[in-house]
Amino acid sequence: MIRLRNVSKTYKGNVVALRDMSIDIAKQEFVFIVGPTGSGKSTLIRLLIKEEKPDSGRIWVAGKDIGQLSSWKVPLLRRNIGCVFQDFKLLPTKTAYENVAFALEVIGRPAHVIRQQVPQVLDLVGLTKKRDHFPNEMSGGEQQRVSIARAFVNRPLILLADEPTGNLDPSTSVGIMRLLDRINRTGTTVVMSTHDSSIVDTMRRRVVELDRGVLVRDQARGVYGAFT
Amino acid sequence: MAVNLEYVFRETVSNLKRNVSMASAALLTVAVSLTLVGGALLVKRGVDRATVQWKGNVELSIFMKPDAAAPESDAIDRQLKSMPEVKNYRYVSKPEAFEEFKKIFANEPDVRDSLTVDQIPPSYRVVPREAEQTKIVGQRFEDTAGVFRVSYAKEEVDALVSVTNFLQIMLWGIAIVLLSAASLLILNTIRMAIFARRREVAVMKLVGATNWFIRVPFMLEGLLQGLAGAALAFGVVWIGRDLIQDRISSARNDIQLFKQFLVTGADVTGTGILLLVVGVVVGTVGSALAVSRFLDV
Repeated sequence: MIRLRNVSKTYKGNVVALRDMSIDIAKQEFVFIVGPTGSGKSTLIRLLIKEEKPDSGRIWVAGKDIGQLSSWKVPLLRRNIGCVFQDFKLLPTKTAYENVAFALEVIGRPAHVIRQQVPQVLDLVGLTKKRDHFPNEMSGGEQQRVSIARAFVNRPLILLADEPTGNLDPSTSVGIMRLLDRINRTGTTVVMSTHDSSIVDTMRRRVVELDRGVLVRDQARGVYGAFT
Repeated sequence: MAVNLEYVFRETVSNLKRNVSMASAALLTVAVSLTLVGGALLVKRGVDRATVQWKGNVELSIFMKPDAAAPESDAIDRQLKSMPEVKNYRYVSKPEAFEEFKKIFANEPDVRDSLTVDQIPPSYRVVPREAEQTKIVGQRFEDTAGVFRVSYAKEEVDALVSVTNFLQIMLWGIAIVLLSAASLLILNTIRMAIFARRREVAVMKLVGATNWFIRVPFMLEGLLQGLAGAALAFGVVWIGRDLIQDRISSARNDIQLFKQFLVTGADVTGTGILLLVVGVVVGTVGSALAVSRFLDV
């Protein structure tokens, strides 16, 4: 589903974000990307949705070499990838329902599809009762659920989550992880970057560790702090 | 991909509502700039028309000798009639010329009473088709039999032509500068409006909206702002022209220069349509340019 070959990315001022990284992530996998701040986790996610271009190396997503993708096809790539961020990125002027519906409206889905799919996905994330609340009327965990609903409503092949529990307390984080696990079980590939060792240790999924842009560990059913 | 028209319309209206202050800033900028542009264009129109009148009234006079014979006079009459450069001409007979002479020197009885009708030369007053042709027409008659003297206001005509040419160029310059300033202001205002909504644009990109899909509501918004601003400018120009025209027609009759400064209703309508087109184009293109900065991948 995702394949990187010898990918390097350096930002201005010789800040190395990724160095010669190669990895394969299969369909329906659940992968944690771990590592300290600045180790290249967010860069990896930005490369996958083509918000950044690698300096060298090639990236395939869903069987397509995204380096060969013409710029007008980038939106089509992003429709196959749901994104969830630490800061939710919800629109404060729209309700929970409207935030989710917005994602379908802007890719031109017809109104009857929107009316059917948005309540479904809000039910999945457990926010049916809060559908008409604005983001500032909801807790952090609820806002993150809205953001996951928005990322998942179009049934993407891949869900990328960049520290989705970074702003949440441990008990709320557990709820979010259950949700991501459920989504993974529907067949969606989930790639999640995180600092949270207890989550990684509990879930026992594949762990990829980055250190200063270099892949230092790739372990099936791994834990956060295990060094080999 | 079929663009959902309902979505585009709803989004445009709610954006305009939500950003009332920004939208009105852009609208007023368009209105003020286009009012100035429209005003400059109409003044130019007025000057054009007045210039034609001024130039059209420039005469050259062929004074006959007071004792010139009738055949000599007829020959000049025939020649004037056959010349394409001549727009019209009229014969001023001795008694008419004498009346005119008495009027000019009404305040100086000494001069007025020093001549009799017979001593006054009759003349042909000739209006050339173009002010620039005055000299050419006049020279033909300088040595003709029976002609006493050809007099033409050459220097006055030259001065008039150069002044009006300069005025024309200056007004065009002002209109162009104002229009560029208006375009830049509109571009900037829309850019600020879009900057205020960069979160929305970022989310749209994130979930895979195509660039055109993001652009269209912004462009429609710019179009409406440009159109409304231009309509406002149209109204102001229309009312302004009425007020000024009223002043001019109630002014003293003998201020001919003002009388000829005429701007017709058709001029205002034409300029207004131009303003509307410019407003729409600048608003739409401005938004498209402004939003594309936020669409760079």
